[in-house]
Amino acid sequence: MKELTCIVCPNSCSLKIEKVNDVWVVTGNKCKRGEKFAINEMTCPMRTISSTVRTTFPDAPVVPVRVSAEIPKDKIFDVMEEINKVILDKRVKRGYKVISSCLGLNVDVIVTSNILIEKVEIHE
Amino acid sequence: MKIKTLQRKIKKLYPSVVVDTKDGCVHLTGTLDNRDDIVNAGYMSVDKKRYLGVLNDIKLKGFEEPKIRIPKTNDTTLDGLRVDCLVIGGGISGTSILRELTRYNISALLVEKESDLAMQASGRNDGEVHPGVDLNKGSKKQYYVVRSNPEFGNICKELDVDFVRRGQYACFDKPINPLLKLYAKFRSMNGCPTTVANKKEIEEKETHFTKKVKCAISNPQSGVVSPYELTIAFAENAVSNGAKVSLDTAILDIEVKGDKIISVKTNKGTICPKVVINAAGCFSDKIADMANDRFFTIHPRSGTDFIFDNKISGQINHISSFVSAKKNKKKHSKGGGIVKTIDNNVLIGPNVYETPYREDYSVVAGSLDEIIKKQERLLPSLNKKDIIAYFTGTRAATYEEDFYINKGRKTKNIVHCAGIQSPGLTTAPLVAKDVSKMAIEELSEVMKVEENKSFNPIRKKDPILRKLSSEERNALIKKNPSYGRIVCRCEQISEGEIIDCLNRNIKVPTINGIKRRVRPGMGRCQGGFCMPLVAKIISDHEKFNIYDVKGKQSDYPVTFKSNKRENHD
Amino acid sequence: MIIQLPLNQIKERTMINYDTVVIGGGPAGLASAISAHNNGAKVFLIEREARLGGILKQCIHDGFGLLYFNKKLSGPEYAQNFIDKFNELKIENTTNSFVTKITKKDDQFLIEYVSEDGVKAVSSKTLILSTGCRERTSKQVFINGTKPYGVFSAGTAQYFTNILGVLPSKKCVILGSGDIGLIMARRLTLEGVKVFGVYEILPSPSGLTRNIHQCLYDYNIPLHLSHTITKLYGENRLEAVEIAQVDEKMQPIKGTEEKIECDALILSVGLLPENELAESLGVPLDPKTRGPIVNENYMTMVDGVFTCGNAMQVNDLVDYVSFTAEKAGQSAAKYKIKEQTYNNVEASKDFEYVLPQRLSKNIESENVDFYFRTKKIEAKVQVQLLCNDKVIYSKTYQHLKPPEMEKISIKSTDLMINGDFKLIMKRG
Repeated sequence: MKELTCIVCPNSCSLKIEKVNDVWVVTGNKCKRGEKFAINEMTCPMRTISSTVRTTFPDAPVVPVRVSAEIPKDKIFDVMEEINKVILDKRVKRGYKVISSCLGLNVDVIVTSNILIEKVEIHE
Repeated sequence: MKIKTLQRKIKKLYPSVVVDTKDGCVHLTGTLDNRDDIVNAGYMSVDKKRYLGVLNDIKLKGFEEPKIRIPKTNDTTLDGLRVDCLVIGGGISGTSILRELTRYNISALLVEKESDLAMQASGRNDGEVHPGVDLNKGSKKQYYVVRSNPEFGNICKELDVDFVRRGQYACFDKPINPLLKLYAKFRSMNGCPTTVANKKEIEEKETHFTKKVKCAISNPQSGVVSPYELTIAFAENAVSNGAKVSLDTAILDIEVKGDKIISVKTNKGTICPKVVINAAGCFSDKIADMANDRFFTIHPRSGTDFIFDNKISGQINHISSFVSAKKNKKKHSKGGGIVKTIDNNVLIGPNVYETPYREDYSVVAGSLDEIIKKQERLLPSLNKKDIIAYFTGTRAATYEEDFYINKGRKTKNIVHCAGIQSPGLTTAPLVAKDVSKMAIEELSEVMKVEENKSFNPIRKKDPILRKLSSEERNALIKKNPSYGRIVCRCEQISEGEIIDCLNRNIKVPTINGIKRRVRPGMGRCQGGFCMPLVAKIISDHEKFNIYDVKGKQSDYPVTFKSNKRENHD
Repeated sequence: MIIQLPLNQIKERTMINYDTVVIGGGPAGLASAISAHNNGAKVFLIEREARLGGILKQCIHDGFGLLYFNKKLSGPEYAQNFIDKFNELKIENTTNSFVTKITKKDDQFLIEYVSEDGVKAVSSKTLILSTGCRERTSKQVFINGTKPYGVFSAGTAQYFTNILGVLPSKKCVILGSGDIGLIMARRLTLEGVKVFGVYEILPSPSGLTRNIHQCLYDYNIPLHLSHTITKLYGENRLEAVEIAQVDEKMQPIKGTEEKIECDALILSVGLLPENELAESLGVPLDPKTRGPIVNENYMTMVDGVFTCGNAMQVNDLVDYVSFTAEKAGQSAAKYKIKEQTYNNVEASKDFEYVLPQRLSKNIESENVDFYFRTKKIEAKVQVQLLCNDKVIYSKTYQHLKPPEMEKISIKSTDLMINGDFKLIMKRG
């Protein structure tokens, strides 16, 4: 039996999960998302990551990105390596896919800020 | 005392120490296992009538003196340079001397091993301008301080540096006695206006003081200035009058032939000066040694000051201290007090401790408790919670505890301005005149020296917008919108003011260089918000990468390149 | 078009007058401005940075909006949702503008500010102070040793990393288990920085439980409770730190010292609400929240001055910032000068604080939301609101933790009693 803290929402429910007759049984959750989370943790833990990608624009040397959906926990640093290879040279807006289906995981890496399309202020 | 008497006395206390004479000085060698004993042996050897000085080469057991911190970079930018006067050291002494030298048509270069001026003692003190209360008559310190203090306002005006005579109270918890009044009269007759303040006056002027104060020695001539601002101002004025300043330049060796310095080797090449001025602070005895003209020894003595949030500035007006009944003769500093700096920060300290380290500025554990315990006796409202910053400084003290301002004795073309400790800030303008005179005299023997008719003593600082009226501020912003973009919110400093700083005639494009000149990072958030913004401004203006922007010294960046792919232009 | 007149023309009484001026364009300012506008007020928002969004611009991790939008957004996305709405409504605003002085004359607030266009002033019936908070610095935490570069507060490290695209460190130690420190532990690890560990002086973590899991456990970053930094090494750039275990009095235990070589110390040792402007207006602060004392409408004790967001109380969830800011905006829009009497709200010693600290005798809204934090970790307790020793409201909690701000919603009709209120904790 394993004890976990759910990280899906601020409730941070204390969960207990164990396999009973080949079926995962979860207790302590206040919603279905918690149940799904606990089962995933035991079989294939999933996570989201956020980072930044380099751009060619001096007014925004990097822009923030995140994965569009959860990725397997053990693929985190592989996805980071892909993110680090990107150089964005277009003024794109929030939601733009800098990487489509990263590493074949059916998850995109998307821009999360509109900084590149905001008015460019040039000082000096 | 005669050398034999001294040998006997020292052998009694420290049998392993060898005492002899060298170059007219007392020379001490050997090994002791206690720093305070080494210093004591040095003090015992002082006899101004009989000897020229003390050469204390006693080693501390098990201690290896760290190598002097010098820049990691080497180049040849100064190689082969011929200069009339080379000033070693960019503190208040070196820079004020440099300015004096520009009153003549000579070439003058100041070299400083740190990445900015006033990085050592001149940037690590409370900025007090002393009236000369408790100094030995006959000392150079006393001679210079009573003459320099009255002139201090004028020099600050010329250099556009703020200076305020706050006045000083040395407080007693015993009622006024006739000796005190006599002392005050005596001091006043000797160039230091002094009165005795009674309890009523003190209570009116200092509402937050403890009621235990019964009277105080009052010196209205005491003032405050920013010591590093003044140092920088001297240097900027010198440069505008033709002098040169080279930072990140360390002296590696000095070549002496016979009784003359032939060349000076630095990490930027070898310079050939006609005359050298030694204003090297805690390293002035090392420089003297390299120049084959050492007649003194520096024993470093450190202390820490703590700075309070501006919101308590209303609690004190004068530079103040509580004089304890029993004076410890061995403690040379005023034992610390409370100073309201020129920026209206309340500062307490310093404490005092001998140290074998010449440039170690770490805070010794317990310093704060020691100082606050002492100062809260005078100002009970002081609270640790309001402390926003602190700094440690190291005094370049000689065993005579006086300035060493002399022409070279063995080596002819060197002038020493060494052993400068408190009141070195106050005395700098006058000392500079005398040192410059000595240097010019020496220089006149090998070349014709003429006055610089276009010497301009006036130096102006850039506008400080938060101090201007709304109309003036508005007008400046209309001309230059970057004055309207506030970068440091705690101190209300604009982008324009930071860029002004990068355009001055001595440029120090580091976070710390900007901080000392324009103040971003000195407020309550201590640079939390503005440091990255200042780094970006430096990076944009100087056209180098942000990860090349340095914090304090040129060898140390603030940030690093990320692991992401870089743009290749 | 916005016509802002320079200060010297104010005497001609042609200055633009607003119903509400909002100071700060982060999540609190944006939400309150939108709400005030939607409640009929003429709004002007002043923001000191070049772009709106406040601190969320650099909080690129997700976890924002779980309550407000029922989505897991990153900080910039959360902010953008409000910025889009703000722009849609064409609410007047100015950026790169810094408030230098606020004075009250008759029933108007005169707000002077500096911007790229010069020194300006506007006047307003009400003010909303949404000025956020700043981080506690190392000087306030008294670290001995040298003062090298390389000591960063977590927010500063975050700005360098996420906005300027440079790293504050290659190998670091984090002091304080506050949320920002935990977030940066993960962020820096993702960027290839070696994070040796997070050191926390208290025996329990200061940040949200789920952040401990997602930021530390997930990345095998050790959490050392009851530890602190005792010394720094390195004159110009940090070279090492000394850590030590502490006792129950939080004093270092001799003999437990350990030296760790690193080039940065990241500090996450607490947030302080920014209330210099509030103090200059004579707004009394609650020393427990370090924010202004407020009523159920988030009006301070100075009539017409409202507050919200982190300036009012340090929040762990931006969703609550938006909820309270909306209320503040609505209240500012509806504000009418009137005589008002109040009942005080106090919290027992078991709590860090309770907010609001006072209730109007005539509460206009249907419910009042109370926010509080427990002082210590508690399990299976009842939190009760009493008035005149009578229990008005009671709620049972399985656990309460200091890092987790709690909210209880009570019907206003239950609160319109004459008497002071007290929040207490019942154990067992």
